[in-house]
Amino acid sequence: MKSFPRLLFWAMHLWVLAYSGVMLGAFTIQFVGGEFPCPLCMLQRYGMILSTIGALWIIMQARRGELTAVRYAQGLGMGVLGAAAGALVSVRQILLHIKPGDPGYGEPVLGMHLYTWALITFYVVILFVAVVSMLAPVGIPEAPTRAGAQRTISTLIVGLFALVVAANVIAIIFLEGFAWVLPDDPTGYNLLDQLGL
Amino acid sequence: MDIIILALLLTAVVLVVRGVSRTWVVVTWLLALVLMLGLFRYHVTSPLDLSF
Repeated sequence: MKSFPRLLFWAMHLWVLAYSGVMLGAFTIQFVGGEFPCPLCMLQRYGMILSTIGALWIIMQARRGELTAVRYAQGLGMGVLGAAAGALVSVRQILLHIKPGDPGYGEPVLGMHLYTWALITFYVVILFVAVVSMLAPVGIPEAPTRAGAQRTISTLIVGLFALVVAANVIAIIFLEGFAWVLPDDPTGYNLLDQLGL
Repeated sequence: MDIIILALLLTAVVLVVRGVSRTWVVVTWLLALVLMLGLFRYHVTSPLDLSF
């Protein structure tokens, strides 16, 4: 099982990449499809980011050679807590639209609404963390020691996630404007309306 | 509030990537989590009209 720590290292990247992809998909629906995210939709994005920071924490410490079993557990804990917080919001939104005849919020994607897909991703994260925690005695993530293609790929994935989070900051400034919270059913960019643009 | 939460999350990401301080990462992350749950509580304005 010598390659297991390396496999775990890349599994953490898959986690980061998957949630970056999910949030880029949400951006596509927002900017191309013209569907504005509701407050609960944004809260689920925060759950995804909180959860992914756990994986990022593990990756970066493994890359610096500073990852210990305790810090690994800390990162996994952050991952589960973030996913549990996000799942709480998803469940609330699913229950809001669960009655027969309710069209739900937004357009379905592949037969299910985005908040239902979000709940599935949160459960996947929780199951993944459960499995890797059980396998912790076999090994903890280990980064490639030499600079090279693998390090570059790792940097690109980490950079993509950081860019997605930064893009969310810019998007929320436009969505929320000078208000404290998002409206229940947003129909445009508050900041542009408030500035009269 | 959303802007503050996302700013905290971005700060946490930058701190993790730059390896500045593990304590500050945890503090920023926890603060974002608490604010997120508080905002969720704020948006839950009515009980669900459901019976299980």
